[in-house]
Amino acid sequence: MQVLDRPLVVSGELAWLGGDQLQRRVDQPNQETATIANGEVTQQRAGKPPRHFSLKRAPQLQVLLDSFVALLSGDAGRLQQAFEIRYTGVASGPWVLVLTPRDAAVAKSVASITIDGDGKQSRCMRMQEADGDLAIDLLGPLAAKMPAQPTREALQALCQGAR
Amino acid sequence: MVLLMAWLLVLAGLGWMVSQRLKVSTDLRSFMPAPTTPDQRLLMEQVGDGPGSRLLLLAISGQSDVQLAALSKGLVGALRRDPRYTQVLNGSFDLAALDPSLLPYRYLLSPTLDTQPLDKSYLADQLQQRLDDLSSPAASLLKGLLPRDPTLEMLKLAERWTPKKSPEVREGVWFSTQHEALLLVQTSAAGFDPDAQQRAIDGIQHAFHALPGSAGAKLEFSGPGYFSVVVGAQTRHQADWIGRISSVGFIVLMLLAYRSLSSLLLSALPIASAALAGIAALTVAFPEVHGITLAFGFTLLGVAQEYPIRVLSHRRAGEDAVQSVRALWPLLLTAIASACIAYLAFYASGVNGLKQLAVFTIVGLLVAGFSTRYLLSHLLPVQVRDVAQMPWLENARAFVDRLPRPRWIPVVVALLIVLMLAVAPGPFWQNDLAALTPLPRDMLLHDARLREALGAPDVRYLLVLQVPTEQGVLALSEKLQPKVDALVAQHAVDALELPSLYLPSIATQRARQQQLPDRSTLQRELTQAMQGLPFRPDLFQPFLDDVETARSLTPLTPERYAQTPLGQRLAAMLVQRDGHWLGLGTVSGVHDAAALHALGKDSEGSVRLLDLKAASESLVAAYRTRILQALLAASLLLVLAITLALRSLRRAWHVLAPMTLATFLVLAVERIVGIEISLFHLVALILAGGLGLHYALFFERDTGDVAEQRRTLHATIVCVLSALLVFGMLGWATIPVLRAIGLTVSLGVAFHFCLSILMAPHAIGRLSDPGAEDSHARED
Repeated sequence: MQVLDRPLVVSGELAWLGGDQLQRRVDQPNQETATIANGEVTQQRAGKPPRHFSLKRAPQLQVLLDSFVALLSGDAGRLQQAFEIRYTGVASGPWVLVLTPRDAAVAKSVASITIDGDGKQSRCMRMQEADGDLAIDLLGPLAAKMPAQPTREALQALCQGAR
Repeated sequence: MVLLMAWLLVLAGLGWMVSQRLKVSTDLRSFMPAPTTPDQRLLMEQVGDGPGSRLLLLAISGQSDVQLAALSKGLVGALRRDPRYTQVLNGSFDLAALDPSLLPYRYLLSPTLDTQPLDKSYLADQLQQRLDDLSSPAASLLKGLLPRDPTLEMLKLAERWTPKKSPEVREGVWFSTQHEALLLVQTSAAGFDPDAQQRAIDGIQHAFHALPGSAGAKLEFSGPGYFSVVVGAQTRHQADWIGRISSVGFIVLMLLAYRSLSSLLLSALPIASAALAGIAALTVAFPEVHGITLAFGFTLLGVAQEYPIRVLSHRRAGEDAVQSVRALWPLLLTAIASACIAYLAFYASGVNGLKQLAVFTIVGLLVAGFSTRYLLSHLLPVQVRDVAQMPWLENARAFVDRLPRPRWIPVVVALLIVLMLAVAPGPFWQNDLAALTPLPRDMLLHDARLREALGAPDVRYLLVLQVPTEQGVLALSEKLQPKVDALVAQHAVDALELPSLYLPSIATQRARQQQLPDRSTLQRELTQAMQGLPFRPDLFQPFLDDVETARSLTPLTPERYAQTPLGQRLAAMLVQRDGHWLGLGTVSGVHDAAALHALGKDSEGSVRLLDLKAASESLVAAYRTRILQALLAASLLLVLAITLALRSLRRAWHVLAPMTLATFLVLAVERIVGIEISLFHLVALILAGGLGLHYALFFERDTGDVAEQRRTLHATIVCVLSALLVFGMLGWATIPVLRAIGLTVSLGVAFHFCLSILMAPHAIGRLSDPGAEDSHARED
């Protein structure tokens, strides 16, 4: 991130609650739960009153929601609707899915999402923000491989297939 | 012909003068008596200018959420620069609401520094939180603010300034649970100025329809200003169509009665002259004429319609109108003079509206009377039918003469009145002005729903802070804030906004300034706070700059603040009057009025809860007292005038007793059916009394000439029928004000007619012998 001089690392769990509901729980470094439901985001931190805001005001989350729900529910139509899709790779081996938001307002803050996978397993999700910031989610087994001092390059290499 | 032309020319001249000079004030307040208590005075201001009464509630529906949100934003954009509106809110938080040049003021406006210095531990905690924010879904919201405002004072202020109980935000704007985008608009115009409110509403409509995509969407309004427009339009609409129907009926009646088109047209001239002269006199004597004066005045001028009717009915075959009038004139003059003398009492009441009413009616009645006598009589056609020869009238007169006239009638009627008044249900007086112009129920429900959803302030209660200085108000408001917070926590009230919410006192701003560290200290604290955190070292330069600027700012005053949108909001809450300042706290959702009243305890009058409803009711009661006093004085003058004119107490009794009894009988009948008496009923009673005075005067007059007696009956029947026609129609109106006037006058006319016949002395039945009139042949 531009405002930081080193990457920010958090770990936790992302859960699809069915429908358009997604829960993002962060365990490290601080406890926080964010729930998306009915177009609204509710953010809860230990010892603080919950905060609410509209999903529209957090385009990253809208993208996250769209891509995740579509991927997890296997709803190709929805994915098509929200993104321009570029797919390279093979079904049994490594593959790369690049999603570019169609909505101009969303595209203003999220440039693209790249999902790396291998066979049936998604390994890693990279969200390229329009201001140059990059958010990388290591998914599933790869999450355990988060280096202690991550760099953008190291993580990208990890995603792209250092097996 | 020359006379007619001259008369018409004078009327045209008066009409032109009136059209040039007449300035009608629609402001209800200027018709009211001068307020006496502080609450009443505040009410007079608040009724029109209070923040609550200037609020319009808007709902846009009928399309998808996305489209509605776009319309909501478009409307805000279009209205924000318009001087007709002081505040336009739709839920989207807009940093532009705070003038960019005022941004460093956030450290003086936000309460953070009261409890928390900007030291390293606080900064470290805040920065850690921002770091969490960056990794959270809220990141994109905050990233831009971070370098300038790491402690998020701007968001804290924004949260403070949004209504505590705000509706759900979807697509970035407020939405109700029924898929309507909601907006709050505060108008610059007073709430009870229907014309200005109409312009404000038109402006919103216009801006809305100019928006792309507005075609399929529905824009609905609510709020006091909108109601005043709707009520005004509805009343006018009903009065108009009823007026049209009764005018046609009146013309038909006159044609049937007199069979002469020219008589009909000419007899309209005295009334027209009366109305024009009355208004012209008002424009000369007063800078502004109240709309209500005109409405009441035209009602009361209904009496003048009798003058030409009397003349037309008393025409004899072959006799010219001047002679007929001459015979009638003493009696007509008595009626005119007594009415004018009675209205003088209204002039003496000291209430501006009543004074105008007196000037209008006195001038009007005099002009109508004298123009009937000296102008109309010369214009009426010479060839007429003598109504005395009509067979039905002979029969009617014979019937009337045969009626028994027992002496016990007044006693029985009086007892009946007392009995009915004693057992009548409910309160005697109607003090709630709004009850007379009620809103459709669905409109009130709609308003309640929007108000609830928007957390918009109540129009009924206001918390009033009264202190000698403006800063004193802000200081008192700050002192009160913790108590108010406690009340909100106890759910005594949903929200109470004090002026200091928008602007702290200068003293508080200075104290906060003192808490701001100098640049090098802040730099040191910040550097230590940033240790171990991944923020770029030079990231917070804008923050350091702002704090440095804030240290030397001149504290914000309401005047300086007034140039910003939020300052306008504050300006509505700070009022200067009579050498002291008032702070007005707006209240929404009162659950425990007593707890709010208790805020004023021990404040020695500097804090009090103003119940606008109670204050307005006390004002109406004060107003009624004035009218009743004027009425009492008028009655005494009337008794004196009639007695002097008739030179006999006994004759005066025959005129005044039926009139008095009939008036009270109307009151008693209305009370027994559960009607609460309002100002409008009183005005209608006065009109009916004026008509009744005529009936009694003419029935009491006994020329001993049977033909003349028939003519009197004819004239009276035409008068009664025309009054019943006009006011009976009003009685069918659904708007209570119109119904009150219509019903009261109709009942009054009927009672006055019956009682003045039954209580008149028996006429001497002598065969008509033209030329041998004996005005002394009168016996009881």
